[in-house]
Amino acid sequence: MIGKRKPATPEMAISEHELNSMTGELEMLHKETFPGVAKMLEEFSANLSHLITKESTGRRGFLAGLGGLAVVGGLTACGSSSKATSPSSASPSASSSVSSAAASKYTGDLKVVALAAALENLAVTAYKGALTMAGQNKLGTVPPAIATFVTTAMGQHADHAQAWNGVLSKANLPTVTGAPLTITAGQVAMLNAATSVPDVAKLALSLENAAAATYTFAAANVSDAGGIMTAATIQPVETMHAAILNFVLGQYPVPLSFIGIDAAVMPSAFTG
Amino acid sequence: MDDRIDEGRFRELLEESDDLQSDAMQTARRDLGRYVEAAQEAREEESLPRSYRMPMAAAAVGALGVAALVAAPSAFAAGASDDVKALQTAAGIENLAVLTYKTALTLDFIGGASANGVVKAFAVKTMQQHTDHAMAFNAAVTKLGGKAQAATDPKYTPIVTAAVPTLKAPLDVVGLAITLEDVAAQTYVADVGLVSTADLRQLFASVAGVESQHRAILLAVQALLKGNAADLIALPPDASKLPAAAGSVGFPSSFYATSMAAPITEGAVA
Repeated sequence: MIGKRKPATPEMAISEHELNSMTGELEMLHKETFPGVAKMLEEFSANLSHLITKESTGRRGFLAGLGGLAVVGGLTACGSSSKATSPSSASPSASSSVSSAAASKYTGDLKVVALAAALENLAVTAYKGALTMAGQNKLGTVPPAIATFVTTAMGQHADHAQAWNGVLSKANLPTVTGAPLTITAGQVAMLNAATSVPDVAKLALSLENAAAATYTFAAANVSDAGGIMTAATIQPVETMHAAILNFVLGQYPVPLSFIGIDAAVMPSAFTG
Repeated sequence: MDDRIDEGRFRELLEESDDLQSDAMQTARRDLGRYVEAAQEAREEESLPRSYRMPMAAAAVGALGVAALVAAPSAFAAGASDDVKALQTAAGIENLAVLTYKTALTLDFIGGASANGVVKAFAVKTMQQHTDHAMAFNAAVTKLGGKAQAATDPKYTPIVTAAVPTLKAPLDVVGLAITLEDVAAQTYVADVGLVSTADLRQLFASVAGVESQHRAILLAVQALLKGNAADLIALPPDASKLPAAAGSVGFPSSFYATSMAAPITEGAVA
């Protein structure tokens, strides 16, 4: 990790111009790939629309039965929510982001969609909180490459959340605007406790690994073809985030030959 | 080149990675084994009178834990031959990746005395990971009654062969590797949507995520080399000196593309 080497003299703050320029390039790339994903999501929405009026199938029963698996990969060992007061304005709501009346409507594949949206919102919130803390000088000097990483990864997670929420909207279900997950309080507590860039990087790495594992799981366990492909196209992006974070932390960047599902956040962790 | 990484520490990291790797390989073998069992049962089930089919399908579901098979056992069996083709094509891509890294490591600036230690170690480790992928894909092919793909991908092999004499500097190798990793990742992302079982979807997704990680690191390395900052290719890097763009160059898009995906028949063998 970074702390193993003596930090260099603080230098270089990322300029607004640099950020704007890079954001423009990324938006261009994003526009090249998003139409294909949007098409998949349209089809996904069409295929899922019947779910809100029909009883669950065997597949959805299977997904509902995953409750015992809970969350692994260290995410449950994040401490209590007693310190869950946000260091910034970025703290996600773990309980009020969807109406309780709508909660029961997230079933089967749509529960996985809602889980994915919540997980993406949590990632956005973590990165946003990190930027806020950096602005408050709570993390020490933030190297420009780290600032760029955070800004870019946050934007990509927002894209993912928007994509998943688009499916919920088209299924006439409320979008998930917060992070109603059993892991949220612990993650927020970890963010609040962070005092350095490596602290935040470790938290981000944990979230990215969990997201990658969750999408690997989803690719296998969602029944709709559009949903499968959406998970499949997002999963590599999360693993790429993880590789760069590993590199920055001084850890081997590609430690495994296969991305497992042990760190997956299971549908039962969604509390909305 | 100035390789900041301490050799002992790097060995430690590789050993930690190997421990994790061992666990992951066990999981992959288990998943593949379950997939193969279910596929074989589905094939046997297809040869039975229709009235006997559902109990066999239920057995396959029990082995896999995949309820989707209940809904479409015949579709599962019908997809088995395409599954074999996809696995063979994937093995061919992996074989080519192994050959490419092996060739690159014979070059002094990648595997010799003048090489950056981190780049060299990355090439060695990545070659091993591609070997693992090829073995996994071919093991599944063989158990399903198909012929293991021992050759390299027919479309990209001539491209690599033509490129080898032109590899004069690390940037040349990195560029070639980025292309191969991207083709592999895109192919496996596409395969997730083409194969017939949940376990096979999981296998392709799990490998796609690793190839995209290789690409992410190579993109970062490429950017540093292009920026004459090879000294920053170190573990850990001096984060304070990394150019701002290094923080985002490794993941250029929010969604992984599939436009360069190889069709499942590209590396299929009868």
